[in-house]
Amino acid sequence: MFALKSATKRLNSRAFSTNTAANATSFAKKAFTGGVAATGLAASYLLYADGQTAEAMTAAEHGLHPPAYGWSHNGMFDTFDHASIRRGFHVYREVCAACHSLDRVAWRTLVGVSHTNSEVKEMAEAFEYDDEPDDQGNPKKRPGKLADYIPGPYENEQAARAANQGALPPDLSLIVKARHGACDYIFALLTGYPDEPPAGVVLPVGANYNPYFPGGSIAMGRVLFDDLVEYDDGTPASTAQMAKDVTTFLNWAAEPEHDDRKKDGLKAIIVLSSLYLISVWVKKFKWAPIKSRKIVFNPPKK
Amino acid sequence: MASLALRSIARNSLVSRALGSQARLLSSSTLTKKSNYNTPDFGDYIKPNGANEKSRAFTYFMVGSFGLLSTAGAKSTVEAFLQTMSASADVLAMAKVEVKLAAIPEGKNVIVKWQGKPVFIRHRTSEEIAEANAVDISSLRDPQQDADRAKNPEWLVMLGICTHLGCVPIGESGDFGGWFCPCHGSHYDISGRIRKGPAPLNLEVPEYEFADPETLIVG
Amino acid sequence: MVFYNALRNILYKRNSVFVATVFTGAFVFQASFDVGVTKWYEYHNRGKLWKDIKPRILAGGDGAEDEDEEDDE
Repeated sequence: MFALKSATKRLNSRAFSTNTAANATSFAKKAFTGGVAATGLAASYLLYADGQTAEAMTAAEHGLHPPAYGWSHNGMFDTFDHASIRRGFHVYREVCAACHSLDRVAWRTLVGVSHTNSEVKEMAEAFEYDDEPDDQGNPKKRPGKLADYIPGPYENEQAARAANQGALPPDLSLIVKARHGACDYIFALLTGYPDEPPAGVVLPVGANYNPYFPGGSIAMGRVLFDDLVEYDDGTPASTAQMAKDVTTFLNWAAEPEHDDRKKDGLKAIIVLSSLYLISVWVKKFKWAPIKSRKIVFNPPKK
Repeated sequence: MASLALRSIARNSLVSRALGSQARLLSSSTLTKKSNYNTPDFGDYIKPNGANEKSRAFTYFMVGSFGLLSTAGAKSTVEAFLQTMSASADVLAMAKVEVKLAAIPEGKNVIVKWQGKPVFIRHRTSEEIAEANAVDISSLRDPQQDADRAKNPEWLVMLGICTHLGCVPIGESGDFGGWFCPCHGSHYDISGRIRKGPAPLNLEVPEYEFADPETLIVG
Repeated sequence: MVFYNALRNILYKRNSVFVATVFTGAFVFQASFDVGVTKWYEYHNRGKLWKDIKPRILAGGDGAEDEDEEDDE
């Protein structure tokens, strides 16, 4: 009798528990449906509310996106064109260096990249650097050495601003890394000055119009004109050629490790992918006995 | 290891096939022999006869290449870390000083800064060279031939730091016609060797070389 | 079969020999791999590298006519 009772109880409790389980499932379903509906409604509302306000920045204020140019160092395993770096330095020296500094590039880094040792030494010696004071404590000057950094055109930021109507020409050492669009942007900016600003564009005094510059109004005027410099390798110095060369040079200045980096990357890819493939094989080999084992159960005969 | 396991399975299954389904062999121990375990048929996994040596060679080749590539990778990683401890390019570029010798007339001293230390360069006259060579080495506190101190006898290059307490000696003075340290009165001769006073050693000669007859590179 | 047996007896019968082979192999591999990759890399980028333009510069930079610059457009 007692046994029967307890059995019924157990049965009941089981029935009860099944019931709650069913309840729980239906609740979860409802909660899920409700959640989806709420999310959908919230998203719709946010989209609608977003459409009610106007975007403050127009495309023109962001600046025109530069086209993607086919740089000779674009590819995964492509180095810089060093002849282009050499011409680009020429352009920097003769054109850009009038306003822009190149603080983070030392003369010595050019050696074996675009210039020979004696060429760079000669260029460095043309500049004067502060030396140790003499015995009387008077400041002295000395000619530049390979270890010196390329000097900028201005003593300090104030002097730079004063000479450029309040605008500060940015340092060009890392400019390619510091701008969206990198090389493409620099090239587009240098070559993108129209003869006249489009109708309706009002520019502040002393500003120039360039569609690639965010806001369109840039303090730097167009500087590159055909045959502005004369390349020592005889390449015709068109505006586009100079812009391309100087951009390549600036990209090198920003990423002097570029060529070695791509070579190391190639090595890493080869070694690591082979290691991966071999490790897959070794894993399969080690697991073979475990994966191919068979467990047989023969019920004992009575 | 695993290849051995495979091999034992292979052998066992051959035996088991030979003995039919009655064989109860996975190992040769008597305990398992007594068990009623029926070894299943592993025929599908067994390599055809004779392929063992070849497959083992391949296995060792794969495992060996795995180790080889890992070793090479580990080696370059360690090397990369060690390389961070060596001098960087800008330090190396500053570590040498170039001196144009044409600007130094005979019988004159020039002091250049090298790694923050003064370096004495003297263009010695032939009398001075003769004088430096005439000294009896055995009488010196720190015996050294003049030829050991100057690669080119015309040019004496040494660190201008008194070996006593690190003052900078004064040139063309002292009792021996060389350098004199005003701090505690050490006298150095025309080869920079200590002759009198408290200093224990000769003036130190830094590493230097003549890139060409007109250019001296210290460092 | 004979070849594989010989291989086993020489190379991996003793673990010490096998491991030593792997380690020395790693050194040899690293050096030769470096040379190989550099060779390919320089072949892939021939004409653009410093070592390609250096002789022209040392010769006096007279390579006016044989300049083959690709344009950016």
